[in-house]
Amino acid sequence: MHAPLDATPLLELDGLTVGIGGDAAPILNAVTCTLRRNEILGIVGETGAGKSLLTKAVLGLVPEGLRVLGGDVRFDGCSVFDRRNEDLRDLRGGKIGLIGTNAKALLDPVAPVGRQIARVLRAHARVGESEAQSRAIALLREVGITDPERRAKAYPHELSGGMAQRVVIAMALVTDPAVLLADDATLGLDATVQAQVLDMLVQRCRRRGLGVMLVTHDLGIVRNCCDRIAVMREGELIEIENVDAFLRGPRQAYSRSLLEAAKARPTPSIARHTASERPLLQAEKLVKIYGGPFTHQVRALDGVDFSIRPRETLALVGESGSGKTTAGQCVLRLTNPTSGRILFDGEDVTDLSAQKFKPWRRRIQMVFQEPYVALNPRWRVRDLIGESFRLLDPMSRGERERRISALLDAVHLPSSLASAFPHELSAGEQKRIGIARALATDPDLVIFDEPTTALDIRVRAQIIDLIRDLQSRRGMSALFITHDLNSVRSLAHNVAVMLHGRIVEYRSAEDIFATPREAYTRKLLDAELPVEDPPGRATNVSEAIAV
Amino acid sequence: MPLAATWHRLPRFVRIILTRLGMIVPQMLGVTLVTFLLVRLLPGDPARLILGNFATDDSIKALKQHLGLDQSLPVQMERYLIAVLHGDLGMSPFTSNPVLTDLAQRAPATLELIGYAMILTVIAAVSLAVISVVRPGGIVDVVARIYGLVAGAIPDFWVALLLVFFLFHILGWAPAPFGRIDAMINAPPTITGFLTIDSVIAGDRTAFWSAASRLVLPVLTIAIVNTGALMKMAQTSFRGAYQSEFVNHMRLCGVPERRIIRSALRNALPPIISQTSFITGFLLGAAVLVETIFAWGGLGQYAVQAVVNSDYAAIQGFVLVASAFVLVVYSVADILYELADPRIQV
Repeated sequence: MHAPLDATPLLELDGLTVGIGGDAAPILNAVTCTLRRNEILGIVGETGAGKSLLTKAVLGLVPEGLRVLGGDVRFDGCSVFDRRNEDLRDLRGGKIGLIGTNAKALLDPVAPVGRQIARVLRAHARVGESEAQSRAIALLREVGITDPERRAKAYPHELSGGMAQRVVIAMALVTDPAVLLADDATLGLDATVQAQVLDMLVQRCRRRGLGVMLVTHDLGIVRNCCDRIAVMREGELIEIENVDAFLRGPRQAYSRSLLEAAKARPTPSIARHTASERPLLQAEKLVKIYGGPFTHQVRALDGVDFSIRPRETLALVGESGSGKTTAGQCVLRLTNPTSGRILFDGEDVTDLSAQKFKPWRRRIQMVFQEPYVALNPRWRVRDLIGESFRLLDPMSRGERERRISALLDAVHLPSSLASAFPHELSAGEQKRIGIARALATDPDLVIFDEPTTALDIRVRAQIIDLIRDLQSRRGMSALFITHDLNSVRSLAHNVAVMLHGRIVEYRSAEDIFATPREAYTRKLLDAELPVEDPPGRATNVSEAIAV
Repeated sequence: MPLAATWHRLPRFVRIILTRLGMIVPQMLGVTLVTFLLVRLLPGDPARLILGNFATDDSIKALKQHLGLDQSLPVQMERYLIAVLHGDLGMSPFTSNPVLTDLAQRAPATLELIGYAMILTVIAAVSLAVISVVRPGGIVDVVARIYGLVAGAIPDFWVALLLVFFLFHILGWAPAPFGRIDAMINAPPTITGFLTIDSVIAGDRTAFWSAASRLVLPVLTIAIVNTGALMKMAQTSFRGAYQSEFVNHMRLCGVPERRIIRSALRNALPPIISQTSFITGFLLGAAVLVETIFAWGGLGQYAVQAVVNSDYAAIQGFVLVASAFVLVVYSVADILYELADPRIQV
């Protein structure tokens, strides 16, 4: 399958097949690949491709109801499935470390994290508790946690997501494994934290000569960290290739479509505004303070100004806690700003009562971040979309049906989906329903809260295309709240970078990406792991470190 | 604020204990107020109740004066509080003892019974729950399932009688259900009032074995009746922890199964703690049928006697002691609960 190996493989997957058995199609189908020492292999695929199952099967622990139907996994030449209890336990966490996604759920909530790391070490090596503790603390320092002595005593709920992820990484590294399986290890982390974590991971692997399997759905990560890439689709490994060769041109059509989808699109051009044109939305000196006079106060928004003209898209960009979501909520009057004004179409809507604001709601709509949470699970798509019509004048049943199928058509969904329930839809379809709901009242401004996070590569590209398409056809304005710079490139005309409740840089998208002025903006841009080389920047993490 | 700063520098468990102990004082005051009002709310005149229907108005008036019933309510309350603080809970006309003496004699009997019964209940319930979750479909799981089904429907007096019938009457393994210790054996000198502990302190082997063997049947009865509910709660709570993602992650990290079970159990503790405290408090009065069957001479029996005899001083004293006991149990449970879950802020 691959060029002659330069060393004996550390890990060999040989026709690994996992499924429920019987006539059902296997979930992993004859997966064959190898992992060598000092190699980082990226495994890419969309949801349901079987990536996570692959990592669990390598450790000989498939979820209940599934079993290994055929093939073998060999570590250092010996089959994983032949190993007996103690031997297998030594393999898990000892020889092969696993870094899972969503670190907070992977940590024992009632044990200090230092002790949890020590626990894993003591499961594999004869060391005393205090010795294990000090090794844990040393490792915490190594994975970039400041003040590790104090942090080791902290409980998981006292740590941020990024810090918890580092703890999980330390748990995987503490036994000095020969192989590391990283299953979407940076999902949901802020870009700068993700870059730090990946960088640290790559460095350690290079230094110790580990073999790493990096499971991800982000081709940017693969490009910047991995040596080889394996593409998975519906349980099969369809292509294994060196990363450079893959980026030059994948052999499989599916791989090509993935790579194409991951690339940014040129920003849509809009007719230049005449200076006299009135902004559709203006936010002036918005301040939002959470907490009362006797408790700790948080300034979520600290004097934020922005404006959006008709047919224009503004992206609010920032990391978690920067106040970008609060800004969106203020515009929509989901929360009231402590001070400042919001002008919509020239009228001050800041202090309108809920009743008086209602007519405005049909003109300002929002697409929520988690579509599944935002959709009532007991309603059919028809009713979910139709609910928005209550803001409009009463209409006949036929009119209603016509409009619903027109909206479904607008978001490129078949009208047969009208009687489906949310749980029957894929994540991308749910997102589309969320968009259709927002479009139902034919709004002038739509607020998109993280429209592209946690979506598969191709689905994300489809959503971006859909939004672009809708904007050019309907001429609506958009406020885009996101930390995904790649989608900002494809969608936004203007970008406002937020930090600690303030806007630190606010310029046109072209300018901000070409010549970022503020240090923080540069830091954000540097943390981005693009699939293509942006002009003037060539930072392949793995190459840089290998040198 | 230096005071707040000092407070936050204290270790967490010290803060937990101090906060909880601080709450006991006002709570106890509230309980005392309620027991005081309890008697005031009873219909009729206490003096007339004491002297009976044929008492003359003069004697009633004299008794009222003697008891201080002619004073205003706050003054009476104050007197009552002072008396309680001095350990004076009044006299019981039926036992002709001070109520405090009566209670001090009987409380250890009940506490000893409840104490051992609860230890057995918790151990049995948690073990059954853990094993049935770890080995689903195993023999323990099946037994636990059947037991859990019938446990809610077993009355304690019935279990007690069955145990007495089989283990004492038929098999003769257990001692006779007549009191806490064999009548032919001298009880050890009272130190704690717990016969098992006192006999160990006195080094009296015969007394210890007699007291311990007398405990077996009633303790078994209470445990059999109460283990079911606790076991079901422990099962639910432990299953949630045992099937959570972090446990699976521990397994993928090669942590030994024993260690995993311990961690999962540690996570499952809070609901087990609260239910245990609830059952313990409840048993103080609810063990009365078991006490009666085994002629235990405990608090529950005393309280029932007092109610039957309209012995108000005794009822008042019992309610006071019972509430104090429940208060202590709940406080300990609260403290353990907060210790078990580091996410609770103090």
